[in-house]
Order: sequence, then C-alpha cells, then structure tokens
Amino acid sequence: MKRLKILKPTLREKNRYTSFQVISEKGEEFTYSDLESAIWNVTLDFLGEYGVSKTSIWLLKDCWNQKKQIGILRCNHKSVQVVIAALGLIDRLGDNRVTFKILKISGTIKSIRKIMG
Amino acid sequence: MNFYDFHIHPKFSEGESSVEEIARRAKLLGFKGICITNYFTNKSKIKTLKKEISEVSEKLEFKIFMGFSAKTVNQLKKLVRMRKGYDVLLVKGSDLYLNRKAVETKEVDILTHPELNRRDSGLNHVMAKLATKNNVAIEINFREILQSSKNTRSAIMHNIAENVRLCKKYKTPIVICSGAASHWQLKDPKVLISMACLLGLELNEAKKALSELPENIIKMIRERQNEKWVRPGVKVV
Repeated sequence: MKRLKILKPTLREKNRYTSFQVISEKGEEFTYSDLESAIWNVTLDFLGEYGVSKTSIWLLKDCWNQKKQIGILRCNHKSVQVVIAALGLIDRLGDNRVTFKILKISGTIKSIRKIMG
Repeated sequence: MNFYDFHIHPKFSEGESSVEEIARRAKLLGFKGICITNYFTNKSKIKTLKKEISEVSEKLEFKIFMGFSAKTVNQLKKLVRMRKGYDVLLVKGSDLYLNRKAVETKEVDILTHPELNRRDSGLNHVMAKLATKNNVAIEINFREILQSSKNTRSAIMHNIAENVRLCKKYKTPIVICSGAASHWQLKDPKVLISMACLLGLELNEAKKALSELPENIIKMIRERQNEKWVRPGVKVV
C-alpha cells in the first residue's frame, strides 16, 4: 500500500482559510520564509506547542503573492479566532514594523482566491 | 457593521504618530471612526486640538472624536466640569480609588485598563454593579497584551478575563480598544474581536463591544452637543 486511502468528507478536518495582507512601513516585499518564521514564532510563543498542535496552522506557499503582500493561512474551524488573535500580535518582521489586515475568512480556498486576483 | 476604536494616543499625548497618520491607517483597516485620546490639558489647548482634528476629519471624510483621559481624581473632577467641551471622557485605570471614582461618575464613558500594573484585576462585583448603573464601559486594552510577553502577558490576560467574567455577570458594558500609541499598533477589527473571544466574550458580544457600544457613546455625544443638555439626566425643557 503506497498511500493512505482518502478520508470521507465527514471524517476530514474542517478547514478555514484566512486571507490577509501585510502592511509595511516603506512597502517592503517580504518573502514566504520571512512570514512563515514570524507566524511560527508568534504562535508558539502565544499558544505553546500543545496549543499550536490543536490549530493545524499552515501558511500556503503557492498562494503567497509577494507583490501584493497577500497570503492565505489555513487552520481548522475551531481555532480561527486563536489564529487571528495570534496574527495580530506580530508587530515586527525583522527590523520593519508591520500590521496585518484580515481580508476574508472562508471555508473554501476557491472563494478566497478571487480576492487575490 | 461599523467598527470604532475609542482609545488611540496621538503625538501630543503619549503617542508617536500624527492624527492624520492614525486616521489614514484606521480607515485602511476598516474602521468607521476613531477617538483621539489626550491627557488633561488647559482650555486653550483643547481648542487647538479640536481644530486639528476637525481639519483631518474633513480632509479624509472620516469620523474623529476628541477624548480626554483623567489620570488622577483631581483631573477627573476638572474634566467633569468642562464636560461639554469635548466628546469622550476616559479614565486611566490602575489606582483602586480612581477606578471606584470612575465607575461612580455618570459623566465617564470608558474606564480604560482597570488592571494596569496591578496584581489583581482592579475591579470587583461592587464596582461592576456601579459601572452598570452609571453606564460606564470597561475597556479591553489590546496594547497591554501586545507589549507584554511570557508570564506578564499571561497575568494580564488572566486579569482581563476576570474583568470580562464580572462584566458579563452584572451586564456591564464592555468596549474593545487598541489603546494604540502609534498607527502601527492599530489593529484590524477582526483581530480585536478574536482577542476578545479568547478572553471570554462570545462572538456576537465581541462584535457589539466594537460597534454597538461605541455607537451608543456617539449617540450620547450628539445629545450632549444639544444646547438643552445640562448634565446626565437633566435637560432644559
């Protein structure tokens, strides 16, 4: 058996996708890895290892728009509030001051991609 | 839903950003209006502040209110006397005596961070009941959580959650503010709502705390601007 059989839709984890925009001081263009490390650091600090394990948080790499600085963060449906609150606690990326603007929260990645253009 | 942030410090208070920078950022984040908070000053300074705020408000077509924050009981008394001259009266909590005075005063709109620099939550059931009676809102301040870390942050969040529990029990109005001292500390309304949810509010209660309660305060501001208004509960007929 090479791969696990795909779970039934009712047994799968229910995901929520949060699209956000990074607003920076001088319009700096942050890379995916900059953002990924910042999100991991702040969520681990704020929620702890056990807390993060419950959120199933993931920053989608192929959805990161470096020009517009818009990205999509995936988490399970029970931890949307926790993840957004943690996102609000990021006020610096490296030496630059940043603010996160939450654009949309959705249950499907298809509807949220429309915003990104 | 219209969201408002009623506790922001600009340059001439303890902040580092100008009114215009703050207003532009708040508009970008999706706020309908904000309140610029200053500490107690003399009457002549109020006029200049009012002028600056109204200029920016007209330029950006964005609602900006002017609020004053009292640090001591004496300042509170003076600000109550000139209540008609500005929009929102806030009290900087922390001292127990000042917290008590704030919830006893009908003219006060918001008691900000009652748990600031305290080991306890700065609010008890008696004060919560008084706040409900006098319609004084208790603030959940985001900056306190943002600027702290590790054990301090967890202690602050515990104290705020304790206040939220008391407020919910005695139906005391709760308001969520960023408490920003710079336009970089202004947060998206969804972030403020999420944080309030973590501190014990339901989602609809958190939304009300960011939109309905500030709208009630705005209603009071309009009533106060009426020439017939004398003091809370007293009008010229």
